Order: sequence, then C-alpha cells, then structure tokens
Amino acid sequence: MSVTILTAYDQRPDGLDGLDGPDGTGEFAYRAGGTDLQERLRTTGATPHILDLTGVPGFAAVERTDDGTTLGAGVTVAALARDLAGDYPALALTAGGLATPQVRTAATIGGNLLQRTRCWYFRHPHTSCFKSGGDSCPARDGRHLYGNVFDTAPCVHPHPSSLAMALLTYAATVDTTQRDGLAVGEVLGDGSDPTRDHLLADDEVLTRVVLPPPAPGEQAAYFRSISRFEAEWPLVEAVVRVVRDDAGTVTSCGVAIGGVAPVPLRLAAVEALLTGSTLDDDTVARAAASAAQGANPLPETGYKVALVEATVREVLERVRG
Amino acid sequence: MELTTTVNDETRVVEVDGTESAVDLVRDGLGLTGTKLVCGSGVCGACTMLVDGEPVLGCLTPATRLRDASVTTVEGIARRGGDDGGGDDLHPVQRAFAHHDGLQCGYCTPGFVVDAVAFHDRWRAEHGTDEPDRQAVAEALAGHLCRCGAYEGIYRAVAAACRGEHDAAGGSGEHVERVERVEAPAKVTGAAVYTTDVVRPGMLHAAIRRSDHAAGVVGPITFPDGVLGIDVLGEDRRVRWAGQPIAVVAAETQAEARRLARELAVPFTPEPFVIDPDEAARPGAPLVYATKADRKEAPTASEGAPMPAPWDGNVHGPSRAPFLGTLAKRRIRSARSEGRKGLVELEFHTAAQLHTAFEPHACVADWSDPQYLRVWLSTQGVAAMRLEIADHFDLDPTHVEVVAEHVGGGFGAKLGLTMEAVAAISLSRLSRRPVRLVLDRHEELTGTGNRPGSRSRVSLLVDDDTQAVRALTVDTDSHAGIAVGNSVAALAMFLYDRTPRLARDVDVVTNAPPGAPFRGPGGPTIAWALEQTVDETAHRFGRDPIELRAQWDGNPKRQALYRWASALPTWQGRPATGSQTGRYRRGVGVAAGNWMYFVDPDCEVVVRVEAGRLVVSTAVQDMGTGSRTVLARAVAGVFDVEPTAVDVRLGLANSGATHGPASGGSRTTVSLWSTAVDAATSLRARIGTDLAGAPDGVSATAKRGGDRGMRAVPVTMGGIQVGRGFSAAVHVSEVEVDTRTGKTRVLRVHGGIAVGRIHAPVLARSQCEGSVIQGIGLALYENQVLDPHTGLTLTANLEDYRIPQLGDTPEIDIHFHEDGWDRVPGGGVGLGEVATISPAASVGNAIFNATGWRPLTLPVRPDRLLEGLRAGGAR
Repeated sequence: MSVTILTAYDQRPDGLDGLDGPDGTGEFAYRAGGTDLQERLRTTGATPHILDLTGVPGFAAVERTDDGTTLGAGVTVAALARDLAGDYPALALTAGGLATPQVRTAATIGGNLLQRTRCWYFRHPHTSCFKSGGDSCPARDGRHLYGNVFDTAPCVHPHPSSLAMALLTYAATVDTTQRDGLAVGEVLGDGSDPTRDHLLADDEVLTRVVLPPPAPGEQAAYFRSISRFEAEWPLVEAVVRVVRDDAGTVTSCGVAIGGVAPVPLRLAAVEALLTGSTLDDDTVARAAASAAQGANPLPETGYKVALVEATVREVLERVRG
Repeated sequence: MELTTTVNDETRVVEVDGTESAVDLVRDGLGLTGTKLVCGSGVCGACTMLVDGEPVLGCLTPATRLRDASVTTVEGIARRGGDDGGGDDLHPVQRAFAHHDGLQCGYCTPGFVVDAVAFHDRWRAEHGTDEPDRQAVAEALAGHLCRCGAYEGIYRAVAAACRGEHDAAGGSGEHVERVERVEAPAKVTGAAVYTTDVVRPGMLHAAIRRSDHAAGVVGPITFPDGVLGIDVLGEDRRVRWAGQPIAVVAAETQAEARRLARELAVPFTPEPFVIDPDEAARPGAPLVYATKADRKEAPTASEGAPMPAPWDGNVHGPSRAPFLGTLAKRRIRSARSEGRKGLVELEFHTAAQLHTAFEPHACVADWSDPQYLRVWLSTQGVAAMRLEIADHFDLDPTHVEVVAEHVGGGFGAKLGLTMEAVAAISLSRLSRRPVRLVLDRHEELTGTGNRPGSRSRVSLLVDDDTQAVRALTVDTDSHAGIAVGNSVAALAMFLYDRTPRLARDVDVVTNAPPGAPFRGPGGPTIAWALEQTVDETAHRFGRDPIELRAQWDGNPKRQALYRWASALPTWQGRPATGSQTGRYRRGVGVAAGNWMYFVDPDCEVVVRVEAGRLVVSTAVQDMGTGSRTVLARAVAGVFDVEPTAVDVRLGLANSGATHGPASGGSRTTVSLWSTAVDAATSLRARIGTDLAGAPDGVSATAKRGGDRGMRAVPVTMGGIQVGRGFSAAVHVSEVEVDTRTGKTRVLRVHGGIAVGRIHAPVLARSQCEGSVIQGIGLALYENQVLDPHTGLTLTANLEDYRIPQLGDTPEIDIHFHEDGWDRVPGGGVGLGEVATISPAASVGNAIFNATGWRPLTLPVRPDRLLEGLRAGGAR
C-alpha cells in the first residue's frame, strides 16, 4: 500500500493560505503535531495520504499587534503555556494543565481544537459509532462514566479540547484557508451533527487563532478534576479570567467549563453573577451552583453535577486569591 | 521516501513511508532497541528520545520529523555524560538510577532515563546542586509510567543526581556509589535485550486475528494463496469472549501481517452470550459452557488446578473450606435473629485489575533447524516452559531451548504456555523460518489475564463483651470471565484464631476475557473484604484496630509487626473516625496480610570459574524481581567478593542446571539463595579463594531439596512445595480525601513485612514499594470496563486503564521483621505476594477513618466517593 506524504511547505512556500488537500481521491489527513493522528494510525492500521503542515512559514508564529495577538495554528501547547502566561493567563494555565510535558511539546493549538473525540468506543478498533461510520452511539446505552452531564447531542462524549474552552472566555476567533473570523463555536458546532468533532470542510485548514488585545490586570485560574496526580482527561475542567478594579470589584470576566458537554461551554449566567461583585463567598457559592443548572446527566454521569459546581467553585476561589 | 537523520552522533539514511512514528524508525529501521514501545498512545513515555535536545514521544512523533534532526536515544545518553572524569561514560542520572534502584523490570527505564537526563541537565543549569522537591520531579516526569512501581527509587535517583552526588563514577565526595541490581547498567543504557528486541535473520512477523464477537461458532478458515497461517481455535470451533484469538498469520513485515489478519475471511455464526455476572447466574442465561465436555476446557484463573466443584448453569461451585462450618453458620444465624452488636455483615465488590506488564506477551520462535527449537519468550518460567513446549510439540526437552534474558514484567500473567508462543512455534515449524509474535497494548489489555472482579459477603461474629471471634463466614463470587478455579474466600481460613468458620468460593462464568493469576491471587481481594470487616468491628466496639487484631492473631511474626505498627507516629496521631469536618480530611488505616510459603525443591544452581571469574547459573529468569542479584550476592558472600564480581547466566542452555524455579508464588528467592550458597560453598571447599589459580571450568552444583520435615502438604506440584508457616505483613496508610472533588491522595504508607532474612535489601525494598503502588492502583484507579452489549474491552489502552503515576506515590517506609524463619535454609522466604495483600485494604480503612464513609466497592473513584459522601454515609 502506498502512502503519499505531501508537505505543505513544498506546496505553498508562502504559507497556509489557499492551501488545498491533495489531488485525487482517497483518504487523507492533515498532520501537525501528530499526537492524535499517530495514535489512530497505529490502532486502525490505516494508511491515508498525509498532508503534513509543519515547516510552513508562519505556522508556529506568535504575532502581537495593537489589535490583538495572532497565533499560528502550529504554535505548540508548551509555547502557549510558556509565552502567554503574562498576557493571556487563562489560556496559558489551561495549556500548562493538559496532557504531559512531552505531549505539550509536540501538540499544537490547531490540532488541539480539531482532534477527534477521546471516547473509548470511537477509539476501539472493533466498534462503530456515529463518528466512525456507524449510525448510533454505543456509549449511550453502554458505558459512559466519562460522558456528558449536559446531554444535548446524539453522541455522549465531551469534546476533548481544553484550549477551546479557554479560547471561549476570550471570544477568540479562528481563521482558515477559506474563512476568517470564525468564532470557536462556529468551528466546533454544537454537537448536533454527531459524526463530526468540528465543522471545517475536508479541504479547509485551520491557519490562525486570533485573540483580542490582552486585558491589563487579568487574573486567571484553571482546574481539572481528575482521579490521579496529572495527565488524565478531565472529569470536569473549568477556567476563569477576571479583571478587577482597585476596590476588588470584577469589571469583566470569562468562565467556561469542559468535559461536560458536546462542546466546551461558556457560562454567561455565572459571568453575570460575578461581574460587579467582589467575589465574596456568597457570590462564589451562587455562581458555582448556577454552573450546573440545566444539567441532565446520563445514567453514569450523575456525579458530574456536583463536580461541575465543585470545579467552578475551585477556580473562583483560586482566582480570588 | 528517504530521509537523513543524525542518531547518537551518527548520520543515517533511512526509508520511511510516512505513517510510521519515530519509535518505529529507531527500533525497526535502525535496530536501536533500547527505546521501548509500550502504550503507543503517548501516555507512558517508554519511547522517549531527545530530538534536537528536547524529549519527545517516539510513538506519537511522526518519523518524518527526524529529518535533518539530531536524535539521541538511550543508547546515546552515556556519551553525553562521559566528560565528567567518570571513566564509565555513564550519565550521572544513569548511575543514580543504578545506585538508588530506580528500576525493576527495566522496560520503562530507557524512557525515564532519557527524560530525567533532560530534566537534570536543565535543573543543574538553573539551580546548581539544589535538590528538586518531589512535586517538581513528578511534574517533569508526569509523562511516564512504571508498572512495577519503582517510583520511590526514581525519586531518590533523580534527586541525588541533581544534588550532584553522581557526577563522578564511584560517587562524588563522600557518596560511595554502588550498583545494587547487578543488571542495572544494562537496563539504564538500553543494552538489556528483551524478547521484543530479538531479531533473527530471515524472521517472519505474525499477527493474530481475534473475534470481535463474544460468542459464536467459526467455520473452516481458508487462508488466501501464499498466506502462511494457522487456525488456533479448539476442536469445538467456539468463540467464548470478545478478543479471543481465532487464527494467526505470518508475513514479511508486521504491518503486512496485521493487514492480512484484519482482512482474513472468518465464517462466523454468532450465538447468544452473557457479560454481566448477575445475569449469567440467572436461570435461562446463555451458557458459556453448554456441556460437561465443554466445562473441562475452562481455563483456570489460579496457579493450581481448580478444586472439583459442581456446576449449575454458569455457576461453578461452591468449593468449601470449613472448620466447624455448620457451627459457624448456626452462630451467625442466631446472632442475626437476636440483632447482636457483635455481628458485622458487609458486602464488598472489586473490579478486575489488569496486569499490563510493560513488555507485552512476546515470542520469537526459531525452528529453522528441524533438530533444535529455540524460543525467545517473555515468560516467568523458562524451565517449566521448556518442558511444556516439548510436551506440546512432542519433542525431547533437550532439543528445546527457552531464552528469557530480560523480562519486562509479568505479575502472574506469564506463567503458563500462552497462545502466542504456541502460534509462533507452529508457524516457525511450517515455514522453517524464525517467527516473531508480539502483542500490542490493545491485545495485552484485553486478553492476557486479569485479577478477577468479585463480590464477597462477610459475616464476622465477635463476643459482645470480649470481642473474641465466635464465627466467620465468607462467600465470594469471582468474575473471571470464562475462567474458573478462583480461591478468594478460602484465604480467610488462615487468619485470626481457629474459630468456627466457613469459606465458600464460587465462579460465575461469563463471556468475558479470562482471569489469570495476579500477584497474590485472591489475596488483595479477600483483604479488601475481611480487613474492612475487622476494621468495622473495631470501630463498632471502640477498639484500636491493631490491638483487636493482636488479640486474635496467632502468628508471632505478625504480632511483632503489630507492635511496630502501633508505635508509628502515623498510627498514634490518627484522628477519631468521622471527627473531621473540613474540605480535606486525613485518615489512617491498617490492614494485615498473610501468605503461604512455597519453595521449588528441584531447583539446581551451578557455580563455576571461567577465566578467573566466578559464574553462577541456573534455569531462571529475572522480571525485575531480582533473581540475578540474589544469585550474585549469594555467591559473592561465600567468596567474600563484590556481587558485581560474579557473572550471572540465566537459562538452561548455558547453565548446566537441569531445573530452576519459576518467578511466581514467592518461591524464587527462597529456592535460589541457599542453593547458590551451597554450590559456592562446595566449590570454595575445593579451590579455596584463589580464583586466578583455579582450573578453568571447575564447577560445583547444588540442588535445593525440600525443608526436612517441614512440608505442610506432602506432595510437590508443578515445581511448588508448600512449606510450613505463613509469611506476614501489616500496612498502615495515611490518606487525604478532598471531599469537594472526590479525589483521594495517599500521603504515606508504612509496610511491615515478615519474611525472615532479606537477601538483597535494596531490591527487596523496591519490590515492597511496588506492591504498595499496585495496591494504590487497585484501591483508587484501576478498573477493567467491558461494553455490556458486546463484551468488548473498553479499557484497552493506558489512557482509559489508569495505573498510578509518579505523582501518586506516597512516602513509603518499608520495615522488615527478619526473625522467625531460621528453620528455612537461608533464613528467609519470598515476599512478592505477601507484600501485595494488604495495601489496598489499608487505604480503604484510611478513607473510612477520614470520612466516616466506608468504601465497599473498588476502585474508590471520585464519582463513588462523592456519591458516598452525598448519600449521607458520612458519620
């Protein structure tokens, strides 16, 4: 079986814009860090055509202007954690809290947003589900301990992108080879099409993530509820960013949670409660409680209702200092 | 496509197809097998290598990334550290790992070493010789897993290297460096060869076609023209679990073999099946074994043959172990009707725990010479495997050689002749070429065994006034999938007085993958139930749990451990149960362990002199349990030389010994030590200590023999003789429960182990620390999960099957009580099993002490803890 490796660098020496998939038919895959794709290739034995994006000029560039900060799709998670800690602490803390040091070194922001689901049915070589060519979600009637607690879509496993969660709190946008200025929600959708983890077209490549200008004085906290020390997919994760005035009153904030729904959720109601408050005990408690409102757990995810509240409460108390 | 890369300072040009990963290029393309492939999904870090100085995961890094890069694998690490005046060229981190025994089986070691070197070099540049704290080391090495649980040694090694204590070979300043594990230098440099590393000229690669249905009948299989394959189903053509091997095919490459296996046409007629044990036990459930003849095919989950027991549908048993059993039942019945305070009755559940040895099951069979079969096998018993292979293939055992130079863990799942060995040998016979068959992680985590899940009902009756034990009954249903022969409840017969008691063991068979022996089979399972019941009894009567056990326990060695445990500051400072109200609640728990004493009386050891050096050899293997070191130390002691001055050769072919023990059942060290001492003593009597002057090849052989008059059972079965007496353990654990997030951290574990004299103290400590880590995995994280509708194993990767990480390691204090085994040659018995029985139960009791909520179901995941506290279980 022959395999074609196309390097984007060979194809488009000027960068990613206007990049097309390979000519002809057949399975193909884009590859950046490879931390998701290589695992799936080994498990399935698939040999698709691979369009390898590394080495494209600007792929891993961070560009700061007055209008904001532009992150090339190939900026690594480790670079986010290291280089954005001052300007965008919510994103940096989230980046530093996911996976392991080696994965963070290799994985990219683009790949993190567009990775496939981590559901154990999807990753199993002998099952089929909505996302692997089947017509059902075997986890729904099967085992879904790590599944959604906001059960709003046919597929029950949460979206795996922690960075998408953090980007929601910044109202960041995404550029592709075909479109500019997409909201994160437009890229990931709402899960109503259970066959997809994102809504980009097959021949559309994510090129950049654009953040608004840094908010001076931003403080942030990130927490993932897991069973072990580190390096585990979150049961529930949460991130908060706040800006407070001299009196300690919250003037702006962003709160989002992951591990709970088909896509990460920005919590507008929680943000409304926090804004104008001094993050006093009562507000924190009410905000945390409201985070789980509307939860409709699956048979095995009832514990996540309490954990959503606990995890949001944790980040709020941490950011309060 | 072709790419150029520089690996360990050598420029190499290699052909890649673009889908493969860096680890494939390095191992298969360049033959650098020091780098290991374990999880294949970026979780365990065993394949870590440096690319342009950065640690990267070999399994997830595309091979194309190595183009024009500078790559350093574990084989190239030594040279990086060679200019410190050391002389041995090893990097300080490598020497520190050897000195502090930061390894056991060694399979994860190359990855740890490479990443620890990167951390060390970075740390030293920024912090000089300041010591990093455990948190810093844990975060830096969070991408690594070790199944043996060598984490304490790894912490010690990394910290010592960062302190600069290993900058020069032999140690820096006042630190005198030693190699504790004699093969450590080979393991920290990647030179140690495991079965998965064996490459033979003209070798074929084999792959297994497995069933993705849980039950059915397979029609005749026709292999496509030119495809070499064998059918591995039994005569009844029946599949009984999802993942069961159906056929094995061989091809020139592994990828091709996998493709052929995947695409093989298998005529399959599905049949009804049952996955849930409760459903399986109901009348009318689909039968896993339909006929009497079928039932004889049931594999055993234990080390011995199953006890004869009746069948009723899918229920096999009970097998009963009574001591005044009727009286025990009657006393408990009447105490129940009287509502007696002294009757404690609880029901416990445990989840199946997967062995997941980091070296998968693997075999390379070379039968290209029709007169001589050579088998490289990742096994716990080279001697037994030679006999079993000879028997299976109807060969003279002298025409069979089984080699296991290094074994990357086994934990009980590599004791028998498994299908991959039979298949590889069969394919080699057909092709007259060497054949390699290595399981991938998915296969390893699906079908190579597990510590079965269970349900145990315990009734313990004590006198209301004195708390003397009046009666005990234990009923255990074991859930070993298609396997039978579990012995869990029966282990309750050996502890706490000779009071009336009745133990009943039942196997409920289902169409799930078979269980297999796992370190102390049944032991941690019974301890989880019995030791919590004892704890509950102590709590009910306001008694000190250690003091109550001491009141009942007739084992003098465990009495000594109780005295030790009672005096521990951790124990003395324990809070009153349920007294804490804050978010974080600390608690301390105790549990006792008990195990049998086994020995292999047929063990032979040969000691000889070759070119002035001592050589000790026998037909044993070393899966990180220290057999090489034990042999070297035994001989070194007789000749008063350093253990590293003794060469150790393992395996039959190069030993001259006719038999050696399996690495299992805690029988290995007690069989090897005194035999090696005897052989060395008789050689020394002949030649004195002047090795240089000794005739080359002069040798002495000794045989272990039984302990005179000391057998508990007057027969030897399968290389095991049951000796008299029980080894003992007591574990005291301190936990911190986060009542907000449901997470339990184990902060500190004290392990008291009474196995008599310790022959290799540093290694023994490592193994006991590993037992604690595995017990924490059992207690808090590990849980095989099957799909209820198909029986497929969902936890077939190390992302979803969660084993303890470096950062989950508590501070571990191991205490050896060395008295009490003087009548055994060498003065000590094995510890592999007894050290593993009570850690999980002690964690359970500590959680109860911390929260007032008793965890009855394993593992105690955050969801269970939150639910338990929410439901008002907290007192």
